[in-house]
Amino acid sequence: MSDRQRHGFVLLLVAGLLAASVLVIATQTTLLGLDLKGGVQLVYQAKPTPQSAVNQTSLNRAVDIMRQRVDQLGVSQPEIQTSGGNQISVGLPDVTNVARAESEVGTTARLYFYDWEANALAPNGKPVADQLTAQDPSAVTISQGQAGGGGPGLPGGGGVPIYQAVKLASQQPTVPNNHSQRLSRSGPLYYAFGAPGSTACATVAKANKTTPIQGQHCLVAGGNPSDTSVQALTQDLPAGISISQVQTLAVPQGTVVLQAANPSANDTIKPTSPTAQFYVLKDNYSLSGSDITNPQASTDQSGSPDVTFGFNSFGAKQFQQVTAAIAHRGSVASPLGAANQQNQHFAIALDTGLVSVPSIDFKTYPDGITGGGGADITGGFTSQTASDLANLLRLGALPINLVRISESQVSATLGAQALHQGLIAGAAGLVVVALFLLLYYRVLGLIATSALIVYALYFYALIKLIPITLTLPGIAGLILTIGVAADANIVIFERVKEEIRAGRSIRAGIATGYKKGLTAIIDANVVTIMTAFILFVLATAEVQGFAFTLGIGTIVSLFTAVLATQAILMTMGDSRTIARPSALGAGAKKRQWHFDFMGASKYFFSLSGVILLIGALAVGGRGLNLGIDFTSGTRITASLVKPATASQVSSVVQAAGAVTPQVQKVDNKALGHDVFQISAKKLGPTGVPKVRSALQNRFGLVHPLDSSSVGPTFGKTIAHSAVVAIIASLLVISAYVALRFDWKFAVPVLIALMHDLLITAGVYALLGREVTVDTVAALLTILGYSLYDTIIVFDRVRENIPRMPRAAFSQIVNRSMSEVLTRSIATTSCTLLPIIALLLFGGSTLRDFAFALLIGVASGAYSSIFIASPVLTHWKEREATYRHRRDRIVTDHGFVAPYASAGADIEPAGSRAARRAGRLTEPEAETVSAAEFEQMKRDIADEEREPTRRTSTLTKRLSHTADSDDDDGAPAAKRPSGRTKGRTPPAAPGATAPRAKPPPPPAPSRPEPADDNVKGDPEGDRGAYNPAPDEAENEGMAPIQRPARPSKSRSRNRRHGRRR
Amino acid sequence: MGMLAWVMMGLALWHFAIWLPDRYWGGIVGAFLGALIGAALFGFIVNGLHIPGRADTHLTTALEAIPGALIGMALVYFEGVRRERTGESHAVRL
Repeated sequence: MSDRQRHGFVLLLVAGLLAASVLVIATQTTLLGLDLKGGVQLVYQAKPTPQSAVNQTSLNRAVDIMRQRVDQLGVSQPEIQTSGGNQISVGLPDVTNVARAESEVGTTARLYFYDWEANALAPNGKPVADQLTAQDPSAVTISQGQAGGGGPGLPGGGGVPIYQAVKLASQQPTVPNNHSQRLSRSGPLYYAFGAPGSTACATVAKANKTTPIQGQHCLVAGGNPSDTSVQALTQDLPAGISISQVQTLAVPQGTVVLQAANPSANDTIKPTSPTAQFYVLKDNYSLSGSDITNPQASTDQSGSPDVTFGFNSFGAKQFQQVTAAIAHRGSVASPLGAANQQNQHFAIALDTGLVSVPSIDFKTYPDGITGGGGADITGGFTSQTASDLANLLRLGALPINLVRISESQVSATLGAQALHQGLIAGAAGLVVVALFLLLYYRVLGLIATSALIVYALYFYALIKLIPITLTLPGIAGLILTIGVAADANIVIFERVKEEIRAGRSIRAGIATGYKKGLTAIIDANVVTIMTAFILFVLATAEVQGFAFTLGIGTIVSLFTAVLATQAILMTMGDSRTIARPSALGAGAKKRQWHFDFMGASKYFFSLSGVILLIGALAVGGRGLNLGIDFTSGTRITASLVKPATASQVSSVVQAAGAVTPQVQKVDNKALGHDVFQISAKKLGPTGVPKVRSALQNRFGLVHPLDSSSVGPTFGKTIAHSAVVAIIASLLVISAYVALRFDWKFAVPVLIALMHDLLITAGVYALLGREVTVDTVAALLTILGYSLYDTIIVFDRVRENIPRMPRAAFSQIVNRSMSEVLTRSIATTSCTLLPIIALLLFGGSTLRDFAFALLIGVASGAYSSIFIASPVLTHWKEREATYRHRRDRIVTDHGFVAPYASAGADIEPAGSRAARRAGRLTEPEAETVSAAEFEQMKRDIADEEREPTRRTSTLTKRLSHTADSDDDDGAPAAKRPSGRTKGRTPPAAPGATAPRAKPPPPPAPSRPEPADDNVKGDPEGDRGAYNPAPDEAENEGMAPIQRPARPSKSRSRNRRHGRRR
Repeated sequence: MGMLAWVMMGLALWHFAIWLPDRYWGGIVGAFLGALIGAALFGFIVNGLHIPGRADTHLTTALEAIPGALIGMALVYFEGVRRERTGESHAVRL
C-alpha cells in the first residue's frame, strides 16, 4: 500500500468514525453521575461474619443482593460496585425517600430463629427453660410475659434496659468457634455507656432529642458489627466524648443482646431510646434466613399485615424438630391440672432486634409443626414494613456485615448547575485552545483544531457508547485531555517545522516530523495512561471517573492528533494551501533561544529552594487544610424555605448533634435565597438524617439537602489509597523512564516530580486552601502530566547524545533545551489554557481541581527545564565519558562553552547501529534533505579546490572509523596539525586532564565562543571559510552570523551530517 | 504532617547544594538523598522517635529539619571528598 493510499484509507476511516460518532451522539443517551443529576451516594465497609469472610466472592454476592434491593425500591440506573477490596459504593440517582433507601440497601437482614426459653437468660444468667420448673419469677415472666403488660419478647415482658442486658451478657463465658452452638456472630461486641447524670448522657440525649432517665446508664455508642475492638468503638463515640468518659463493656462471642419486638406498627421504639428494653440470649440459633423460601407480605386472619414463608427441606426438618422440642418442654412445664397452660416459644430475630416471639401450642402440635405448610411472622408490621421485610428475606441476607462510612447527597438542582458549569468550562477550554493553535500555527493550527473537534466528537460518542457515567471529575478529565490532544499536535508541528526549515520539502518535512515526533508523544502519553490506570485501580469511586476519561481520552487523542492530522497534512502536501513553509509557520525563525540553561541552573535551583523553604515553613506553621474527605465530617448545603440567619441555623444544627459547626450563607440563586453551607468535622454519616429532619422541621427545605458525609474509616481509606497511588505511580513512571531512556534519567524525573508535588502542597498550605479528594486526583494527574514536558526534553537529549559525540553533557542539554523550549512553552500554554477555563467557569468543585492542576502543571513545566535537566547534567557529567570530554574541552578551549562547537555534533557513523533497541517507532530510513545534499556537494568541491582546508562533512563521515571515537578525550590529536593553530596542544591519548591545574584562560584576542559554530570556531580560519550551521540541530541557538557569500546558495541552511 | 514538613525542608535546602563544587558522594543525587534522609532522621530523633501529627506540627517542626539536612549533605560531601582523595592516592601509587 502506497503512502497516498494509506493516508486515503486513514482519512476514510476518520470520516467513517466521525459519521458513526454523530449517529451514536444523536441516538444514545448520556449517563450522568450523581453529582450531575442528583442522588445519594453511600459507601459501606464490609465486615466478616461467622459464615463468611470478606472476599471478592462475598462482596460480589452482597452487591447482587443490594442491586436487587435497589430494584425493589424502583431506583433507575443505580451504580453499585466494589472498591478497595472491602468497600461497596452505592449510587442511587433521583431517590426521593433517602431515609428508606439508606435503611433498605445496607441492612444486613439476617434472620434467625431461636428456641426462646432454651436460650433466653434470666437475670441470674441461667437459661429460662432451666428455671421454669422451679417457677423462678423472672424466668416465668420472660417465658410467659407480664400479666397485664407485655407478652414474651415485648417491652414489659421481662426485658431490661440495655445497660443491664449488656452487663449480664458481658458476664457470660466466651463460646469457642468449634463449639456445637450455632453462632450468628464472631468475636466480641463492644458497647460504651455513660454514667447516670454524666455529660456523655446529656450529650447523647441532646443529640437524640430524648430525656435521660434518672439513675440509669445511657448507651453512648456500640452494638454495631464494626465495634469489634475498643479502638473501633472510640471512632463511633459522639463528638466531644472521649473513651475515658464512658464505661466500655464487651459482649463475648456466644451471647447476643436483642431489642424487644415492637408492640405494634404504630409503636416502634428506637434502640437509642432510654425506654427501649432488651433480652439476653445464648447465641445458638435453630434456623436462619437461608432455610426459608418464598417470603411474601400478606395479612393474617385479623387483617393485620404479616409475612408468610415456606421452608426448604433442611429448614422444614429442623423447624419440626425444634417446635417438637418446644412443645415437649411446654407440656412438661404445664402439668395436668395446672391453672395455666405454659406454652413455650420460638423467637424470630432480625439483625439486632426481635421481630416476634410466637408460642407453640403443645396440645395442638405435640410433635411440632411440620415445615411443609410454612409459617408466618406477625406483629408490629405496617403494610410497608411487612412488604420491605418480605423483600429483604426473599433477596436473602447479606453474606457480610456492612457499616456505612460515607454518605453524600446531591440535589438535582445543584447537579444540573454543576453540569452546566462543566459544559461551559469545556467549551471555553476548547475555544481558547483552538484560538491558540490558529494564531500560532495558522494552517497547521486549523488542522489541529479540526482534529480537536473530531477528538471531541469521538470522545463524546465513546462516552455514550461504552457507556461511561459522566461525572464532574470526569468532565475535568475530558477538558484536560483537550490540552493533551493539542500538546501532541504541537510536538509534531514543531518537529515538522524544524524539518522544513532544515531544507526538506514540505511533504518530506511532514513525514519526517511525524516520525520523529511520535517517539516523544508515545512516551509521554504512555506515562499519562499508566498514571490514569493506577488512579483507576487504586483511587476512590469519585476519582475513578476522572481517571477513566483521562485514560480513554489520551488514547483517542493519539489517534486524532497523530494519525488523522498526518493523513490530512500528507493529503494536502501537494496543494497550494501549504506550498510555502510560511503557511506552516516554518518560515524564517523569529525566535532563537540561546541561553546557558545549565549555567543558570544555580539561580533556578535557588529560586525553587526558596519557594520550597517557604512552603515547608507554611506546612509546619499552618499545616494543610485537610477537607472532610480526610478528617471525616459532614458538609451540607441547605436551601431553606424560611429566612434564617447563620446563627439560627447553627443552633438548630448543633441541637441535631453537630459540634461547633461552621455555618456560612452562600450566594446561589439556582438554589434559592436562603442557602447555607454547613461544615461539621465531628458529624458522621449517621448524623446527617438528624440534621436533615431538624432543618426540615425548623425552616423547611426548598430542595433535598446537598450533603457529603465521611466517616473516619473512609477518610483513612482515601488517604491510604492516595499515598499508595502516588507511590505506585512513581514506581511505574520510574520503571518506564528507566526502560525507555536510561535508569539515570529516571532519578531526575523522580526529583522533579517530588519538587512539583511538594511545591503544590506548599502553595496549598500557604494559601490555606482545602485539600479534598479532588486535590489528590489533581496531584496524581500532575505526576503524569509533569512528565510530559520532561520526556519531551529528555527525548531530545537522548536524540542529541549520539549526534554530539564530542560535546560535554551540559552542551548537549543546552542544545536540547534550546531546541525544545519553544515547544515546551507552547505545550504548557496549551494545557494551562483549558485549566484556566476550568478555574474560571468550572464551579466550586472543578475550581478546586483546576487550582491544583494549575500550580502543578506550571511547576511541572518549570521543573522539566530547570530542575530535571540540570540534575541529569550534574549526574551524567560524573560519568567517565563525559568527564573526559569535559577535560578535553577545557584543555582545548580553557573552559566549557555553553554550546558545543560545530565539530562536536557530527553524528558518528556507528551511532545508528548503536541506537537503543526497542524503540516504539520504526527506525527512520537513511535520508538527507535537499539542502544537506547540496551542502555535501559544495563541501567536496571546496576540498577539491583547497585541499588544505577542512574536510567536508561527507568526507568525514565516510572516513569515520570506530577508533575515532573521542571518548578517550583525544580526538583533537587526529586532526591535521595545521588546524590546532592557536589552541592549547591536545592531550596525549590516555592522559589525564589536569583538573587540579586548569589551563590558562583564553587570550583576550580569542573570540568568545558564545556560539561555537560561529565565534568559537576552533579551526581558526573563519576568514577563509565559515561553515553553515546545522539549522535543524542548532535551531534556537545564538543568532547565526553568516558571512557574506557570493553565492546565495552558500548562505542557505546546511547540515553537518545526516539527521536521524 | 511532620514528615512532610521535614522532607520539604530537606528538599528546599538541597536546592542550594548546587552552589558547592560537585564533590558529593554520588553527586547531586547523593546530596539529595543526604538532605532528605538527614532531615527526616534528625526530625524523627529530635521528636523522640515520633512523627508529629497534624495537630502537633508547628513552625519549629519544619525548622528542626535544617540541622539534619545540613548534616546529611555535609556527610555526603565529606565522604565524596574522602573517596576522591583515596582514588587520587591509588592513582599516584600506580
